Amino acid sequence: MTSILISSSEKYSGKTSLCTGIGMILRDKGFSVGYMKPIGNLLLDVDGVLCDEDSEQIRKIFDLKDLSNRITPILLTENLINDALSDAKKDLNKTLLNAYSIISEGKDIILIEGAGGIGSGMMYDLSDPQIASILGTKILLITRYDSVFAVDRILCDIELLPDLDMLAGVILNEVDASQMEQVSEMVVPFLKKRGINVFGAIPQDSTLRSVTISEIVEDLRADVLAGADRLEGLVEHYLVGAMEVNSAIKYFRRMPNSVVITGGDRSDIQMAAIEARVRCLVLTGDLRPSEAVLGSAEEANIPIILVRSDTMSTIERMERLIGHARIKQSIQLDRMVELIKNNVDMDKLISVMDIDTA
Amino acid sequence: MLEKIFDPDSVAVIGASRTIGKVGRAVLDNLINDYKGEIYPINPVADDILGLRCYPSILEVPQKVDLAVIVVPARFVPDMIDECGRAGVGNVVVISAGFKESGIEGARLERRCAEIAGEYGMRLVGPNCLGIIDPHSGLNASFAASMAKAGNIALMSQSGAICTATLDWADANGIGFSRFVSLGNKVDLSENDFLLDFEGDDKTSVIAAYLEGVKDGPRFMEIARQVSHTKPIIVVKSGRTAVGSRAVSSHTGTLAGSDEAYTAAFLQSGVIRADSIEDMLDYIRAFSNQPIPHGRRIAILTNAGGLGILTADACDMEGLSLASFDESTIQRLRDRLPPAANMYNPVDVLGDATAEMYGYALDVILEDPNVDGVILLTSPQAMTDVKSIADVVVGRSGYLDKPVLCSFVGGCRVREGIRILVDGQVPNYSFPERAVASMRALCNYNDIRNQTYPGSERFDVDERKASSLVKDAVVSSRRVLGLESIDILRSYGIPTVETATARTLKEAVDECEAMGYPVVMKILSPDISHKTDVGGVRLDLKNAGDVERAYHTMMSDVRRYMPDAMVTGVQVQKMLSGGREVIIGMNRDVQFGPLMMFGLGGTYVEILKDVSFAVAPLSRSDAKNMIQSIHTYPLLTGVRGEGSYDIDSIVDVVCRISQMVTDMPHILEFEINPLMVLPEGMGCVAMDLRLTLGEE
Repeated sequence: MTSILISSSEKYSGKTSLCTGIGMILRDKGFSVGYMKPIGNLLLDVDGVLCDEDSEQIRKIFDLKDLSNRITPILLTENLINDALSDAKKDLNKTLLNAYSIISEGKDIILIEGAGGIGSGMMYDLSDPQIASILGTKILLITRYDSVFAVDRILCDIELLPDLDMLAGVILNEVDASQMEQVSEMVVPFLKKRGINVFGAIPQDSTLRSVTISEIVEDLRADVLAGADRLEGLVEHYLVGAMEVNSAIKYFRRMPNSVVITGGDRSDIQMAAIEARVRCLVLTGDLRPSEAVLGSAEEANIPIILVRSDTMSTIERMERLIGHARIKQSIQLDRMVELIKNNVDMDKLISVMDIDTA
Repeated sequence: MLEKIFDPDSVAVIGASRTIGKVGRAVLDNLINDYKGEIYPINPVADDILGLRCYPSILEVPQKVDLAVIVVPARFVPDMIDECGRAGVGNVVVISAGFKESGIEGARLERRCAEIAGEYGMRLVGPNCLGIIDPHSGLNASFAASMAKAGNIALMSQSGAICTATLDWADANGIGFSRFVSLGNKVDLSENDFLLDFEGDDKTSVIAAYLEGVKDGPRFMEIARQVSHTKPIIVVKSGRTAVGSRAVSSHTGTLAGSDEAYTAAFLQSGVIRADSIEDMLDYIRAFSNQPIPHGRRIAILTNAGGLGILTADACDMEGLSLASFDESTIQRLRDRLPPAANMYNPVDVLGDATAEMYGYALDVILEDPNVDGVILLTSPQAMTDVKSIADVVVGRSGYLDKPVLCSFVGGCRVREGIRILVDGQVPNYSFPERAVASMRALCNYNDIRNQTYPGSERFDVDERKASSLVKDAVVSSRRVLGLESIDILRSYGIPTVETATARTLKEAVDECEAMGYPVVMKILSPDISHKTDVGGVRLDLKNAGDVERAYHTMMSDVRRYMPDAMVTGVQVQKMLSGGREVIIGMNRDVQFGPLMMFGLGGTYVEILKDVSFAVAPLSRSDAKNMIQSIHTYPLLTGVRGEGSYDIDSIVDVVCRISQMVTDMPHILEFEINPLMVLPEGMGCVAMDLRLTLGEE
């Protein structure tokens, strides 16, 4: 049995997606795959038990039989923080090791997902490198490559490790197509020279950034006024309709895979969005649109949803939702697996992890 | 084609009612009043209504029905249309409301109605309309309060209320109609179908329309071009402003569309635009009984100097000229008019002028070959016999070959005179400016009816290369293309500045050295649309040192102002000077398709908004008109001793772009900014480019 800790420079770097994708590939190769997210930071109440959202999701996808308090033995609650700040000793290492040993039973490999960034949890001595030391595992670092300065972050993160041996390697995630060449020609060789394995660079992918309209409806607690049967469409961006109508059309057309947020009284903007065939209209301020607009939306098969909050707070929620999407749709899972297969050297990753293939 | 709608042999009213106040009763009353054909009331719970035998269903009517008017609640309408189809009814008018204008369920019902009508090959007016009227056939299949007088004006309106208001106004002003259509939601028959119908209708000589939008812009232009050769088309298009267009969207669930596009499309297809319903009614009165002038030279005949001057001013402002009389005209006026009268245009017959004097002067002026039309003004002064003057004008109105428009200005004292004019079919306007505006509309129509619409020129271009560049971008989901795609311009034969792309500083310096100085350097990034705003343009770099420093500061600026922008490199180009910068753009309009824009570059566009528009494809003369119609056009022809710039080369580029955006419908927006226009004979050069692609 072996394991690997999947860590990242910052939150929202794609750890859960990669865990899921790598896990699926390993399982397809015939390995028995286990999963842990030692510290739960996205709390969820499932039938009276607190657990972590990512853990629950992966547990379902992999159909894991382990109890959720084994998969995520420690929850990031106020208690945990207060204990840490007041130096109250709780033997978290033991809790962790116990859970790990139970989860390990009958598994070839355990994927361990970090919570937040690599240094998160240092105040209670459970940052990713500390967990890796406790469990005796290596770290796979995921870095979102937003610019060349991601290299700074990688080098900095590695400084947190007790030695370079703990690092299995790096995967660069969400690399813009225009930067791919620089990444492969300069960044990867640079990191290699410093003894850092790069297993691959995964290009940015719109399917993965997307959320479904039904997720938006759920998140915004919105009423669906039109197109209730079209809520499974994927949305990549949100746009705000606050301009003059002719500019709005141009703006919306540039990003058709969008949801448009506008006031319920802006019938011109609403019609511009319908005309530009955006994916969905979110109307704010609990202002019902005119019936004629609803009629047109129905004709064009474009969902219109109504929220009580004002435009500003709707934008804030949308900001959190899109781009930080949790991969839930099977189409997104398939895409993730495909991206890993095409861009990550899985054989090398497997050999570094030293899985007992016997 | 729509003859059986306006002149049916039999009409059924589905939802006929005997209850006063119900639409089903109003429609039936209107039919009974004037219509001579068979009327079949359909109502499942009545045996007879107003003495007519009532049928429970249209399927029970023993004879074939040409036209069915449906007034039952919306939810029953699809079934009624289906029954009409089974009964072999040719056309239906759906007056009932409760369709798309009333929400989702209504939109579904409306679609269903259109589908059913389509299955049976029936044509459908409405739904949600007032109905239709043909005073000549005696058909009033509407719930309007009165029947229209017979005349030669065909009117269609997207608003039922404007229909009723116009009918009432026309009644008071002695105006008659040939056909009258309330368009409603236009689910099937739209303005385009009725334009063609009115063209073919002998009784119609003027077409008027109130529209909130058109259903198919390019087809509208095509039809209007054809129809306007024989009949004037006057259109009021509402929803011109931001607030107005919002009201259109909220009211009809459609987009009002950009006003620039409508103005350009109307201008390019011979449609006379009226700015208000009042203007439209003014114009149609002139068109309905006045001959079309052969030129724009207007004579003014007045008994008051002040009115004459106001009218002269108005003529000039409307683009009409004051006729210069033939010497014989002046002599003949001098023979009979008092010495104090003004014999020159405006002709002032003085305050004490008799009707006879007016008559004499009017005849003389009309005979002058330099006069194309007359505006006759009367102010009720102490000695003025307004009624006799009106009689004089009416007496001549039957056999004029030039238009005479009157403006009897006043209140009580001109009332009788105006009544005589109205009865005698002579248009009178309460103030001279309105008469002038109507005269201008008549004069414009003279140009329109003689207008030819040459096709656009086809250039020999490498369409395959351009479309493969566009396709590559679409495939890699790049939607906004810039300088890096300048080859698209080259493949369409558009002259471009010599450019080179560099991904590194070293490449940039090498390229500049090879190109020769001075150079311009621009940032390449799909995320940056206004390069200058983020420090992404460096001009006049004279050597490698300049290039290096500019490169570093530019990268630093861009990182600071747009940290999230993806920078793919820089583009260096030869620095050009000594030209004028212009902009050529295109935006795909919702109704009319590619709307081209032209303007002078830089501040002229941004601050003065001095731009012109035209709907592509453009002919060479369209392109020339576009360029000439900006206010700052003289800056291109050369001012203060400066030579002219190469305007022909701009025409060429405009036409090539027109072809490009017509060839490639997924280009949604396009802009060359700037196009550097060099002195005459030296051509022009595209310096920068931006285009937005849509989904295929």
